[in-house]
Amino acid sequence: MFRNTREGLALALPAAIFSTLLFLVPVGILLSEAFRGSAGGWSVQGYIDFFSEPLNRTVFLRTLKLGLLVAGTAAVIGYAAAFCIVNLGPKTRGKVFGMVVLPLMISPVARTYAWIVILGRTGIVNEAITGLGLSDTPLRLLFTETAVFLGLLQLFLPLMIISLVSAMENIPRDVIPAARVLGASWIEVFFKVILPLTKEGLVIGGTLVFTGALTAYITPAILGGSKVLMLETLLYQRVNVSNDFVSASVIAMILIVMSFSANLLLKRIATARS
Amino acid sequence: MSDAFVKLSGLTLGYGRTVAVPALDLSIREGELIALLGPSGCGKTTTMRAIAGLLDPSDGTIEIDGRDVTRVPANKRGIGLVFQSYALFPHLSAHENVAFGLRLQKLPAEEIRARTEEGLATVGLTGFGKRKPAEMSGGQQQRVALARSLVMRPKVLLLDEPLSNLDARLRLEMRTELQRVQKETGITMVFVTHDQAEALALADRIVLMREGRIEQLGTPADLYARPETAFAAEFMGFENIFRTEGAAVVSDKGRLPLAAVPQSPILAWRPDAVTVGEGPHEGRVAAASFAGAHREYVIDSALGPVKADAAIELPEVPLGGTIRFDLPLATARGLAA
Amino acid sequence: MRHLATWAILGLTLTFLIGPFLIIILAGASDTEYLAFPPQGLTLGWYFKVFTVESFRASFVLSMALAVFGTLAALLLGVPAAYALNRYDLPGAETLRTVVAAPIIVPGIIVGLALLRYMVVPTGVTVTAALFMAHTALVLPYAVRVVSSSMNNLRADMEEAAVLLGCTRLQAFLKVVLPNIRGGVLAAFILGFVTSFNQVPVSLFLSGPGVRTLPIDMLAYMEITFDPSVAALSALLAFMSLAIVFAAERLLGFSRYV
Ligand SMILES: Nc1ncnc2c1ncn2[C@@H]1O[C@H](COP(=O)(O)OP(=O)(O)O)[C@@H](O)[C@H]1O
Ligand SMILES: [Mg+2]
Repeated sequence: MFRNTREGLALALPAAIFSTLLFLVPVGILLSEAFRGSAGGWSVQGYIDFFSEPLNRTVFLRTLKLGLLVAGTAAVIGYAAAFCIVNLGPKTRGKVFGMVVLPLMISPVARTYAWIVILGRTGIVNEAITGLGLSDTPLRLLFTETAVFLGLLQLFLPLMIISLVSAMENIPRDVIPAARVLGASWIEVFFKVILPLTKEGLVIGGTLVFTGALTAYITPAILGGSKVLMLETLLYQRVNVSNDFVSASVIAMILIVMSFSANLLLKRIATARS
Repeated sequence: MSDAFVKLSGLTLGYGRTVAVPALDLSIREGELIALLGPSGCGKTTTMRAIAGLLDPSDGTIEIDGRDVTRVPANKRGIGLVFQSYALFPHLSAHENVAFGLRLQKLPAEEIRARTEEGLATVGLTGFGKRKPAEMSGGQQQRVALARSLVMRPKVLLLDEPLSNLDARLRLEMRTELQRVQKETGITMVFVTHDQAEALALADRIVLMREGRIEQLGTPADLYARPETAFAAEFMGFENIFRTEGAAVVSDKGRLPLAAVPQSPILAWRPDAVTVGEGPHEGRVAAASFAGAHREYVIDSALGPVKADAAIELPEVPLGGTIRFDLPLATARGLAA
Repeated sequence: MRHLATWAILGLTLTFLIGPFLIIILAGASDTEYLAFPPQGLTLGWYFKVFTVESFRASFVLSMALAVFGTLAALLLGVPAAYALNRYDLPGAETLRTVVAAPIIVPGIIVGLALLRYMVVPTGVTVTAALFMAHTALVLPYAVRVVSSSMNNLRADMEEAAVLLGCTRLQAFLKVVLPNIRGGVLAAFILGFVTSFNQVPVSLFLSGPGVRTLPIDMLAYMEITFDPSVAALSALLAFMSLAIVFAAERLLGFSRYV
């Protein structure tokens, strides 16, 4: 009954055509822009120019660094939190898990804005510092890498916890007590039992957090500003301030290649397991 | 009563390039209970789906009640099919499941209600109408599926392995149930099974299939007593099947002499047709098990393993012990090559 | 002891995740003219003020419309696609899947820029139309994925049974498939709505005179004004999202599908 291929294509193609026309084609043209030499023909001059500018290199490395740092920190916190969550009673567990997931539903603008309240000149941290007399003038906490780091971590940590919780749920019930009985210390239990059994969840979570941090716009825009540019904010500047579409195209390519490779890695690991 | 109520002529069925059923001819009489029997993958489901109209034949015709329905779409063919998985609608109650087809026919509400109740009663599910499929046992779900097809008063009711998802006790119960429903409604039924005992117990006639072709067609008594090929014999429980060469039976392992030169190129014996305790041949007991009325031996002989049932009165031969036996020509079934 | 450690870790993590959200609720209620925390006095003034800001009202309506109609359009494209990918043995199914999922992999800001430059500028399509299409495309992968996974458990023979009982293919879909994937479709709608409503990067370049989505408008407002109204608005939006998700969870166990 479902062997009529034409019927199936008729149902699937509208979505595919829509995606192609609205996504693949425009994005493809944008990506090709950097390869179009000034005298016609193809060239990689755009890439050479882009990377020969120190600011661009700094921004590129910073984006990579912050992405990895956020993913790594999320993994450490994520393991601790996921382990605690998995060992809760079923009722509390649902509630706590819900509280971890909820922030994902809240506008990133709102979530990032909170950090202005916390880190701003008249925010909590500065009020505390001046209040305690640790410093006479408020510290500049906003528009620092730390601020961007905190914002990104807060934004994407739930993704890591969710991935790790679902990975840990699949660890057979008695494996950890069994390892303990066999004399493994908690550190050994973590590295020899938990980590190998949750590797997949770690990779999934890590990829989600890394690509999330890489392609976040709001957080670096609000908390980093032009002082702490990341690739996304740099792209925005290049387009809006200097009309430099070649740079925009290069940045687009970098972002796509990075998040695509991360996704590919994820897919490879997912299929290797199943 | 026409002789061929359902008539398949040269029916060729396949998936893409692969042919699953090549040129099948089959006639089914009105009111008959037919079993499609055969090993898994021999094309039983495929044939059934083609009769129902869920699969377009690449060649051949299907006639039902004198009318060519080969090109009639499945929803207009008036054929019922009980799926192996039951395929109940999970969002509907048993009552709504059974009423589903009647509602589509836009029958008066009162008639729909009456026929639905009647259908549920026929399968013994009065009072279960409000239950959702998830709230019923496998056997009950099966009955709902049966009722859902029956209330449509189909010309032919097809059942795909109707008993295979049930546990042993329920299977026996549903066997009798199916037979009763068929006798009560007089509906023409075709059911698929890979279990020979089921086919023998239920069917008026058995269609034994092998690789998309009909190997043998006949009444249960026919097939049981007179299989025509080695394949059919094996299916019917002839566990000792050997080629003949002159006045001997042979296998890859060796040969044993016979009392005379047989007519057939192949001979087959059921375990109970092998003489045990006396006879010209000797073997070693490789396995023995007690089966109530008899003892089942596997005898390691010059031919390889021979399966034989011995009367319980005979002295028990221990494992590894020597045992005499005979393959009498009188109890052998001769088969075509 | 173990207990204490568990709750210390969870307490800190949850504070980090949820604390900021509580802070903006309070910050939005500060009676100062500038953002201050902890607030010196409390007022609901800013919460009311956001309703009177003309641009907020306009952009809220735009964002709502984009989220609702964009998601509906995505479902209109996505449900048949998910159905076809599940039911039919299509040539190039893997390619189709990848193409439909592509919007998730490509960063939104790039999509927005590409649409502006190669669609809005050369073809004269309005920015609003481009926004609508961008949001539809953005939600499409979620629609296909969520609907697919709820269709996975639905065996094809149910539809065949329906056809044998007299349904046309379309009737079988409407009477048998749709009721059984309703939860998934609704979940896809909610997920799509929230994603679209909160979306920034895609809409960043797709704004014109008087055409701005709410999050973009908030970003613009923040750059000029430092009063607590953005905090108040953020809190209100967060409440809206939470209310939707809570209702969905209560009504249909939303989390099963996501
Ligand atoms: N959907 C399908 N696509 C391709 N080949 C199929 C399909 N269904 C069945 N077949 C093939 O057709 C043959 C007959 O299958 P089937 O009718 O299901 O056998 P049975 O019901 O007797 O077990 C088998 O070789 C099987 O592999
Ligand atoms: Mg079958």
